Amino acid sequence: MGLLTNLRDSISRAASTLFSEEDPKRIGIYGPPNAGKTTLANRIARDWTGDAVGPESHVPHETRRARRKENVEIERDGKKVTIDIVDTPGVTTKVDYTEFLEHDMEKDDAVRRSREATEGVAEAMHWLREDVDGVIYVLDSATDPFTQVNTMLIGIIESQDLPVLILANKIDLEESSVQRIRNAYPQHETIPLSALEGDNMDEVYDKIAEYFG
Amino acid sequence: MPHQCTNCGRAFDDGSKEMLSGCPDCGGNKFQFRPDGIDSQAPPDPDAEPPEPPEPPGADSTVARTVGKTAATVRDIVGGGNDDPTVGADAGAASSTGASGSDDASPGVDRSEAATRREVDTQTADTEDAAQASARADVVTPDELPQEPQTDSESEHHFQPVGADPDPPEEPDETERPDLKELREELNDQFESIKVLEPGQYELNLMELYDREEYIVALQEDGRYSIQVPETFRE
Repeated sequence: MGLLTNLRDSISRAASTLFSEEDPKRIGIYGPPNAGKTTLANRIARDWTGDAVGPESHVPHETRRARRKENVEIERDGKKVTIDIVDTPGVTTKVDYTEFLEHDMEKDDAVRRSREATEGVAEAMHWLREDVDGVIYVLDSATDPFTQVNTMLIGIIESQDLPVLILANKIDLEESSVQRIRNAYPQHETIPLSALEGDNMDEVYDKIAEYFG
Repeated sequence: MPHQCTNCGRAFDDGSKEMLSGCPDCGGNKFQFRPDGIDSQAPPDPDAEPPEPPEPPGADSTVARTVGKTAATVRDIVGGGNDDPTVGADAGAASSTGASGSDDASPGVDRSEAATRREVDTQTADTEDAAQASARADVVTPDELPQEPQTDSESEHHFQPVGADPDPPEEPDETERPDLKELREELNDQFESIKVLEPGQYELNLMELYDREEYIVALQEDGRYSIQVPETFRE
């Protein structure tokens, strides 16, 4: 079973690299809850397709199902890079409905949101295992990046030999510290941005084309 | 003593395993319970026989034999046993084999009681069937002695399963345990993936979730969740 799956994975990956010009790479946007993943996904989608990917919210776990935006064409230096963007639910090791109660949510809604968020984490981990060709890892640069979740996820991504781009989001916030992220994950290039404000998006697209083109 | 075969009248000690596989003598499987108080009065027959079975196995060692005989004689005295031929023979053997001082005491008792017993026997023998008397005599004969160990061994064969009652349940348990273990491991694996502290509160093991081939589709409120197997997931 595992062997078969692995075999099939490697075949599909080999096939995807063979036909890379035809099949857009599927880039998963990963990160902890409330890092700005959906804001970034919407920014990219709006910039290049005119559509949004999904609703954004300051309430954590707004995205509880992976959402995909296909055939996003990004033009860099006269070259077109086509990717599928997968906006994934925020990955965490604990989901507690009481956290949502602080956001004026009824208990029933909070419990349901919590359950869906947990399903979403499971789904995100599953996508990471089988269905992404590269990862954009979004971190809130105003918070401590050195967490168990971040270390584990980046470790998994590295073990999969997936290309990963670390984005230090929310540089518009005063508490933002891009250097803290660079220090935490020196083995990867860290690109600062504000997905909300659209700051430094040009460099982000350059790097996307470079990493996933 | 407390149990007696309703067919042939053979008596069995309380907790005797022999009767569990049917009466070794007649194969009967109905036994009546005879409390000790009644035993002392009514059944000389049963009393006579049970002492004897212990003897054959003990025949190997003289000490065991003498102890068995003394036990038999004491029971005979209490129950007014009719086993003159057997006890007489036993007593003779005991006296002949009993070289120790402690043995001397019991034969003395035997002999003194033997006389009283014979009187009682002559009285009771009239009222008893010849078949019963012969049955008792048969039991005592050396020919039967080897048989009784056999019955013992047979009974042991029957017993080991029965006596090992704790064991047979264990065996099925052992056969079931692997399944249970697998189940537990499976459950543990699941709990390692997502632990439901209470509805709405979850702990997630990201590595477990990542390592799973199955894809968790939906969590139920009771803590269960449905999964999608890789084959169906991958179209």
